[in-house]
Amino acid sequence: MKKRGKGVGIIFYGTGYGNGFPDISKAEAELQDDGKVAIYVGATEVGQGAKTVMTQIAAEALGLKVEDIIFINEDTMVTPDSGTAAASRQSYNTGNAIKKAAEALKALIVDKAVDKMKLNTNIGLKVENGNVFVKTFPSRKISFKEIAEDYKENPLKVEEEFIAQTTEMDEETGQGAPYWPYTFSACGVEIEVDTETGIVEVIDGVLAQDVGKALNPKLVEGQMEGGFAMGMGYGIFENLNLKKGKMKNNSFTNYIIPTALDMPDIKNVIVEDPESTAPYGAKGIGEPVMIPVAPAILNAIHDAIGVRITETPVTPDKILKALK
Amino acid sequence: MKEINLTVNGKKHRIKIDENMRLIDLLREKLNLLGTKEGCGEGECGACSIIMDGEVVTSCLVMAFQAESADIITIEGLEKEDGTLHPIQQAFLDEGATQCGFCTPGMILSAKALLDKNPRPTRVEIKEGISGNLCRCTGYNKIVDAIEKAAILLEKGGN
Amino acid sequence: MKKEEIKLKLNVVGKNIIRVDGLSKVTGRAVYPQDIYMDNMLYGKTLRSDKPHANIKVDISEGEKVEGVVKILTAKDVPGHNYHGVLFKDHEVLCETRVRRIGDPIAFIVAETEEAAEEAMDKINVEYEELDGVFDPIEAMKKGAPKVHEDGNIVYHYKIRKGNVEDAFKECDVIAETEYKTHMVEHAFLQPEAGIAYVDDDGMIIVVASTQYPHFDQLEVAEAMGIPTEKVRIINPAVGGAFGGREDITLQIHLAMAAKATGRPVKCTYSREESFVAHCKRHPMVMKCKTGADKNGKLLAMEAEIVGDTGAYASWAINVLRKAGVHITGPYEIPNVKVDSYAVYTNNPFAGAMRGFGATQVPIAHEQQMDILAEKLDMDPMTIRMKNMFKLGSETATGQILEESVPLDRCIQEVEKVMNFTQGKKGGERE
Repeated sequence: MKKRGKGVGIIFYGTGYGNGFPDISKAEAELQDDGKVAIYVGATEVGQGAKTVMTQIAAEALGLKVEDIIFINEDTMVTPDSGTAAASRQSYNTGNAIKKAAEALKALIVDKAVDKMKLNTNIGLKVENGNVFVKTFPSRKISFKEIAEDYKENPLKVEEEFIAQTTEMDEETGQGAPYWPYTFSACGVEIEVDTETGIVEVIDGVLAQDVGKALNPKLVEGQMEGGFAMGMGYGIFENLNLKKGKMKNNSFTNYIIPTALDMPDIKNVIVEDPESTAPYGAKGIGEPVMIPVAPAILNAIHDAIGVRITETPVTPDKILKALK
Repeated sequence: MKEINLTVNGKKHRIKIDENMRLIDLLREKLNLLGTKEGCGEGECGACSIIMDGEVVTSCLVMAFQAESADIITIEGLEKEDGTLHPIQQAFLDEGATQCGFCTPGMILSAKALLDKNPRPTRVEIKEGISGNLCRCTGYNKIVDAIEKAAILLEKGGN
Repeated sequence: MKKEEIKLKLNVVGKNIIRVDGLSKVTGRAVYPQDIYMDNMLYGKTLRSDKPHANIKVDISEGEKVEGVVKILTAKDVPGHNYHGVLFKDHEVLCETRVRRIGDPIAFIVAETEEAAEEAMDKINVEYEELDGVFDPIEAMKKGAPKVHEDGNIVYHYKIRKGNVEDAFKECDVIAETEYKTHMVEHAFLQPEAGIAYVDDDGMIIVVASTQYPHFDQLEVAEAMGIPTEKVRIINPAVGGAFGGREDITLQIHLAMAAKATGRPVKCTYSREESFVAHCKRHPMVMKCKTGADKNGKLLAMEAEIVGDTGAYASWAINVLRKAGVHITGPYEIPNVKVDSYAVYTNNPFAGAMRGFGATQVPIAHEQQMDILAEKLDMDPMTIRMKNMFKLGSETATGQILEESVPLDRCIQEVEKVMNFTQGKKGGERE
């Protein structure tokens, strides 16, 4: 017989290193000969989309197009330390550092533009599409490229850093403000349990993810779907079968991760509530997207078969044993 | 040493190979076609998927000598010479179907083999078509979206 | 920035910009470390322990005789410090006298071909004197348990003491008391670890490898090589997924040593099986939870004990078990909380960072606790959550005030819209 059940999981997640550990990201912005801007950070693109959203932040802050940002993050020789690509911290931390660096470079460019256009103030100037111009008289303008010509030998370059707020907790009471910001998320699933085989199939899902502000909604959705799949694998598929320190399941032949056939077409809901300390309000989401999924599935299994399974992974043998 | 003839991405090759060489090594190391990725070496992950005589095969499980006279398509064979992307590649890009990218070449080739045989697959048929290709980043939904979109692009007369 | 400013028109942020690294990925042109081939390059292979706990003696002489073998590196060849680790330096680059888990690296074989390196690997003689191992973290905490490291097996104890749980439980109308167990899992990123290292004309050691934190790898390589940081350069090309599994050092130092020792570029690519054994895992946790509420479903107290198995090495155990402790309440206001969270060494594969970092395990407990309480109160699962969830101004179990951006209510409502939990429609039966 097949039995259906629904379950929910909700979570909060503190992003960043935490507990007072210095959480520092550095970023450099440099005006290029051709008027484009190079951003140097040591933040790794692991597939999460760091290069893209960080390019967007720089472009937004400088009034440039994405194509006008040269993003360099692959080499310790030329990039500053931006911390690790973990703790869902890169969009927030390095994003903030990039925004600061881009804004500082923009201010520098404006200063140089004031000199070069022989103006006596930077008030009433606007920066758009690689030009600095007088707002009320737009033909009085100068391009980033023209400004760069004066600095061919020694390009205009700024470095900025961002340090996230985190305090150490008390050793005896655990009291303190370990993480910031927190990201929230809720997941609902519908599952079907085959009581003959013990197989659990996730047939529907909805994931509502607080993001602060989505820097790139499509990339956020990609994280949400990927997180859902990984959470599902955690709850019901993946099993190293550890015996006396040995992983019996040590390849994709027996360590089963979800395939396309296992993954339902989930509904993604991006919930925005901008965070004031974040770059354009964006909080980290890389980890929270997977966290509520497995608990929602476990609750749905109980809803379906009336038995609560307290040990993961909920593989078919555990279901069959529970049903006896 | 043995010599074999094969066609890869429309180009004929005559290549000396070791008897125990795998097809993936021939592609990567003899022909420098590095878009074919090795994720597990035992045919489970699909990252090394290529199209051989119209069928998807995991090139880590095929011996090079088995490719005698075969007609092979790798990811490098999908773009036009002028750099225009194949509609499946374009759809993957537009729909956000690639993240870390390591599964992407194999995934795209599985999609191509599917669409070559079944130009308007349902979502379930698409999922079946790529069920031999593991992806750990995307959760597959955007990949399925991309393949649906590519089917429409191809029907409208892409390549 | 003020919220009003955020509402200003944005031109680029918030738009579905096509992934900037997408074109190289859909065309197969993205370069991962395994895609790099250099002239005159050698291949490296790692000989690893197949015993979980043992004293070892290593004899490489037969391996050195294999044709094509250029160098076999062991502990004595580590030029600087024979250690690494993200928090404690408790990993050895190459194990000298003792192995603490299956998969501990013992020797790194450098040869003209992968086949020669593999042949030499089979011929290296490792004499194991097996030691008692401990594989259950609860057992490992007991007196007299085999010690994985000298200072004892308990790596860390994090505590929360807020209010008075004993008194509060007396006030509770319903209590859920359950023990939960989560298991060890693997990141399974699709690109197995790979890298290539070489020494340039200025004596700079260049390591090309997929990593989450190139600047930290630079420090680790420099310390092990006994050279200044600025003499090490890490190049981080395309990374085929990470999820926390590329935080600790795997092959970076071995490659740097091999390149330095041979003067030639050295490449190493892990098989899938080696990838499984080489990097960290997600901490399994045993979580004993007692949660109590009044008859209206308002949470009054939670007491939790968490034991996390960090395996043979600490990696991020302290931070992970701390994060687990902070998050075990779930996103709920609970006035009285007592948490004890322990990180414990065993001879299991080592655990470290993995997506969620301790906060992924604990909802397996707190979310089932909520459903158990709801059931006892004959309440639907949404209502009990909405009564207790964090909102603007809430105080967490660590006393932190959530003073902005707390849209959990909206997240819950969005799920409710689709799933209709409050309609009381439980799952039905089907053929």
